[in-house]
Amino acid sequence: MLQCVFLLSDSGEVMVEKQMTAHRVDRAICGWFWEYVLAHAAGDPSKVLQVVVSPTHYLFQVYRHGVTFLACTQVEMPPLMAIEILDEMMDNGFPLTTEPNILKEMIAQPNIVSKMLNVVTGKSSAIGNKLPDATASFVHWRTTVVKDASNEAYVSIVEELDACVNREGVLVKCEACGDIVVNSSLPGVPELTLSFANPTIINDVRFHPCVRFRPWESSQILSFVPPDGQFKLMSYRVKKLKTTPIYVKPQLSSDLGNCRVNVMVGIRNDPGKPIDSITVQFQLPPLIASADLTANHGTVDILADQTCLWTIGHIPKDKAPSLSGNLRLEEGLAHLHVFPTFQVKFRIMGVALSGLQIDRLEVKNTPSAPYKGFRAQTQAGRYEVRS
Amino acid sequence: MFGLQASSAAASWVVGRMGTDAHLYDDPEDASIPALLDSRFDADRIDALKRLLALIAQGVDVAHLFPQVVKNVAAQSLEVKKLVYLYLLHYAEKRQNEALLSINIFQKDLSDINPLVRAWALRTMAGIRLHVVAPLVLVAVKKCARDPSAYVRKCAAYALCKLFDLLPEESTTLEEIVDVLFSDNSPGVVGAAAVAFKSVCPNCLALISKHFRRLCETLPDIEEWYQITLIEILLRYVIARHGLVKDSVMFASNLSLVAQGGVTVDTMSYTQPTSVGGISGTRPNIMLLRHYIEEHPGCFDREDDKFSSPSVTTSTNDDVAILLKCTSPLLWSQNSGVVLAAASVHWIMAPVEEVKRIVGPILFTLRSSPDAAYVVLGDILVFAKTAPLLFAPYDEDFFICSSDPYQTRALKLEILTTIASESSIPAIFEEFEDYIKDPNRRFVADTVAAIALCAQKLPSISSTCLEGLLSLVFYESSITNSVHLDGEDIVLVQAILSIKAIVKIDAASHEKVIIRLVRRLDKIKQPAARSLIIWIFGEYSSVGNLIPKIIPPVLKYLAWSFAAEVLETKLQILNASAKVIIHSAEEHLEEFKRIMAYITDLAACDLNYDVRDRARFISNLLPCGKTSLNENDSTCQSHSQDIRKELADHIFGGKIPTTSHSDSNYRIYLPGSLSQVVLHAAPGYAPLPKPQSMELIYHTIKLTRDTANSSESNNSNAESESSYESGSVYDSESEGGGLSDKDATGSSQYPNDDGHNLHHRQDNQEAPLVHMYDDNVDQGQTGRNVEDNLSSLISTDLTELMSKSALESWLDEAPALPAVQESMQKSIARVSFTNRSFERKPKLHTLLDPSNTSGLSVIYAFSAEISPISRLLVCIDLFVENNTTDQLTDIIIKSEEASISKDEMDQTSEGSASIPTLAPVEEIRSLAPQQTVKMILQVHFHHHLLPLKLSVLCNGKRHPAKLHPDIAYFVRPLPMDLNAFLCKENQLRGVFEYARR
Repeated sequence: MLQCVFLLSDSGEVMVEKQMTAHRVDRAICGWFWEYVLAHAAGDPSKVLQVVVSPTHYLFQVYRHGVTFLACTQVEMPPLMAIEILDEMMDNGFPLTTEPNILKEMIAQPNIVSKMLNVVTGKSSAIGNKLPDATASFVHWRTTVVKDASNEAYVSIVEELDACVNREGVLVKCEACGDIVVNSSLPGVPELTLSFANPTIINDVRFHPCVRFRPWESSQILSFVPPDGQFKLMSYRVKKLKTTPIYVKPQLSSDLGNCRVNVMVGIRNDPGKPIDSITVQFQLPPLIASADLTANHGTVDILADQTCLWTIGHIPKDKAPSLSGNLRLEEGLAHLHVFPTFQVKFRIMGVALSGLQIDRLEVKNTPSAPYKGFRAQTQAGRYEVRS
Repeated sequence: MFGLQASSAAASWVVGRMGTDAHLYDDPEDASIPALLDSRFDADRIDALKRLLALIAQGVDVAHLFPQVVKNVAAQSLEVKKLVYLYLLHYAEKRQNEALLSINIFQKDLSDINPLVRAWALRTMAGIRLHVVAPLVLVAVKKCARDPSAYVRKCAAYALCKLFDLLPEESTTLEEIVDVLFSDNSPGVVGAAAVAFKSVCPNCLALISKHFRRLCETLPDIEEWYQITLIEILLRYVIARHGLVKDSVMFASNLSLVAQGGVTVDTMSYTQPTSVGGISGTRPNIMLLRHYIEEHPGCFDREDDKFSSPSVTTSTNDDVAILLKCTSPLLWSQNSGVVLAAASVHWIMAPVEEVKRIVGPILFTLRSSPDAAYVVLGDILVFAKTAPLLFAPYDEDFFICSSDPYQTRALKLEILTTIASESSIPAIFEEFEDYIKDPNRRFVADTVAAIALCAQKLPSISSTCLEGLLSLVFYESSITNSVHLDGEDIVLVQAILSIKAIVKIDAASHEKVIIRLVRRLDKIKQPAARSLIIWIFGEYSSVGNLIPKIIPPVLKYLAWSFAAEVLETKLQILNASAKVIIHSAEEHLEEFKRIMAYITDLAACDLNYDVRDRARFISNLLPCGKTSLNENDSTCQSHSQDIRKELADHIFGGKIPTTSHSDSNYRIYLPGSLSQVVLHAAPGYAPLPKPQSMELIYHTIKLTRDTANSSESNNSNAESESSYESGSVYDSESEGGGLSDKDATGSSQYPNDDGHNLHHRQDNQEAPLVHMYDDNVDQGQTGRNVEDNLSSLISTDLTELMSKSALESWLDEAPALPAVQESMQKSIARVSFTNRSFERKPKLHTLLDPSNTSGLSVIYAFSAEISPISRLLVCIDLFVENNTTDQLTDIIIKSEEASISKDEMDQTSEGSASIPTLAPVEEIRSLAPQQTVKMILQVHFHHHLLPLKLSVLCNGKRHPAKLHPDIAYFVRPLPMDLNAFLCKENQLRGVFEYARR
């Protein structure tokens, strides 16, 4: 069980302290942790391991949006449990209620109406004064009575393409990791069934707790009672894809203290929809005296942490974007001995690159036929090109 | 009036900040909190309470406002109530008396119609942790466990965990409530009950048996966090009830080891995994069983039949099958913790051919929850080491991505090395080549080391690897010469180390590599790299056909450069030239001897004494050129030359014993545990229970119930109990609890109980405060002792007892044995007269249980005495007792470490540094029946929390035992002068002290 949770700011200051058990944890542990961060990750908590052993406690830490969530324990507990619940609600060091829909009902979220109401009436109602219905219901993720539902359900496939191109230019690995995000606004207790046209291509899956396992096991159909609002119904992975939509060809040749850089980007396999927000990013190698990089399309920026960011956007029809330039190596160094890895980002709306297709969505148990919408989107995940 | 003004001021603030509470955090002391607390308006009080909570969260001590806050607990507004509860939880323990004021309100709230209020009241009441209130909380929990609202029942389950800290002696009652909650029909409550079970009675697995099937069926419906806990409990239950599955990976790994007679298979010489049990191909050199399952005396000491057939079941067993069936859908859970927990059930219980279904889901968690990657990789490494073929097709999942932190990369490299096979090695090798260009040079060095490991495993690629490594060495040496780069040195040195490791397997066929490396010697400046090459040159100077031809120029070069080298290189030059002389053919010997003499002459004048020593040593061993001084007679001389020759052969020509990188000292803990991540047993880590150990426990629990219920009755119960000695360890908890609650009227039965309490010694922390046992009592003398104790009970004066116990607790020193016995006898009387809180007695732990060791019982207690040998040693009092009717002879206690050095087969060595040492103890020649002997054990725990493995030899039989350290006794006084003390004192920070930056 967790004994204490601290929230640290990005300068290591304790913002919030919450003791969970009788064994209080002194906040000196935060000082120790921050010194550890400074020593091992130069003050960047996102680069520190998730499990840290301090002289007195085991620390679990998760870094989100500039806030470090630090949890302390002295006894054995599953580390993944600690890591996954760090920003969730807890009691006595054990998670209590974590389903967001229920939490929303228990703790009224500040919205503009309630804020104005508070200001005008001088009252505040940050805490709901009724126990949410769902705490008693069997489907713990859904409140039993959903009112004001607009009777619609949207399903979107959001995919990330992971790819790795090695120094020879061979595609070593290419896979798509996708989420199926459902936004449901349906009254009552609806029964939804989602089926795919080609479920066999899926390699790995993870489901929201609302998905029933048996229909998936027998016939790859997702059958579920959805929570109200937006949630991630399923994550999946499709491995061993054959091609990537765009190519990135970096060439680095160094001689006599100079390094010629040339990066070509183009469309390899047109997905049928426009590819936008293309960027190419790489870390400049160490021991570079000066860098002079220009592109015939888009903008090139060299950021403070020695990262070169080439923002391309769309690929124009008339020319192939290329980045070229010269890196001047430091005195005495004739050749480049380490080569950067190029990280590529892009986004394609309207297409799932894995080829996964939703066959249909059936909604039962609703008073009237709901409106159904489908979307798809692919963006680059860990897309790396080594040079 | 004031309140209105304050609220309007706050309102104007709020308008500016759009109604968030953030301003309270910016400047919580902005308004006068006490005034606001006393306001008539809820809004003001809420404002004040929020400010207080903001101050608490910032670490400011606001306990002085406690009385004013407690007043507000009776407020009607739920929000005020909630905020007050939060405040109370934080400070109740510090301000106990004032906190008691709020108890009435809690009692009232417990019967509120709003379930939320009931739940809050229960949570707070249990959370304030006052011993005085604990009985009230127990009543409340009993009531709430049958509440109509599932949410309140869930909170009752959580309250059980909190209550257990306060009322450990009520554990039987608590267990009954857990039982009630387990039979609840709401999945949420069942899940919370699992959490309560784990903290209240993790070993009462018998409790699960009647719920088992239903728990399995509810498993998919309960919340994810509870699933993790419940899966673990169910796994433990199945193992304790039915034992291991016969065709599981775990069992297979054990069997194959037994088949080999316990000999460790060298990891390096492993060529192709033998497929044990079909497709999965488990590699047999990790004995998972040893690591996963709790060691029990009498379970592992016999090598031949480790697990007799009854402790094994098959996967067709109903309970095993249902557990596997219900956990398999959880492999698709969105929570990586659940995936890992479900995977470990399959890993341990599933038949070999079904284990592969866990691979995909585990690997998917690497991608879908990046935070979990480090933890999951650590577990995958263990899986992969045991069954490499399982992961072999998935090598690309372990390819390193530029965003991985260093530790993750290192783990992935190790996994890649482990799973590399003939078919996948080309792809892996291509990846490794790419990694060598990575900017993180430490990672590059690791990659280079991994290449060598792969080449050792798969000899077919060794020549390709050597080519690559050689070109890397040439390249690195060229760039490190021109510029000094950070981290390049380690890559170069590691590359040469890797070459050395590959060449070692078959030096003759790689002689060209050695020659090319040696020829590079004048280009490589890095001292460590030079020394390594010189070592390789010396070691293989006689190997093959080509190398002997290059010896003369190389040796001349070394002699020429000797003076300019650094220390380690000089030593290597001396060694290498000595090896050359030993192995060289006759034709060159004279020439080499001249060079050698030149080198030793140079070395003899060296500034460093190590070099001078080495030179003298070598020139004496291998007299070359110079005639040695004629000190001995000629007959002796020829003889001594033979000896020298032999010595030199042994010293320089001797084959280095291959340091087997065996997995035996690789620490393995249960998958998904914190211990596996930090690689030491975290406090509270419990290995799996002993297979099929359940019947016994179940039996005794029944018994416990009986004795607890009829504890007020007569002695016959206690009498009958003595026939169940084997199970009485489990008894003692409830027994002790019952005793402490009794009043003086029941005390007449105690003396009779004492004789049996001998077997009631407990080894766990949750033991009650009172330990009663009487050392000179035995069954035969019970009658006499009844009288003894009764008389002492009557005659003992209350004040005398008080003062003595008070003195003891102040002195904080465990009395010597007679004193212990004396005080223990008196303690029987003390229970009935004094308040328990005055007592202080050494906590007794069981080292050996008489039921497992055919009658030898060993109990230990930590004593605060300082060891005469070293301050680092902790003194432990051992009480060795003979419970049999025969004479016991030759009782020796020694550390397991010593026995390992004798017994190479034993695999449990865990790296010599971490094994605590034991000061030698005298052996007990003989021990008469019913005789007790006290001895003092001095142990060095190396400041580790790991238990010390001991073996007790008695009558020629070895009984393994574990000595659990008590960290409090590691604390030693530190003498310092006044100034140093004051200085240190100033650096101390108070618990709630807070400095604003």
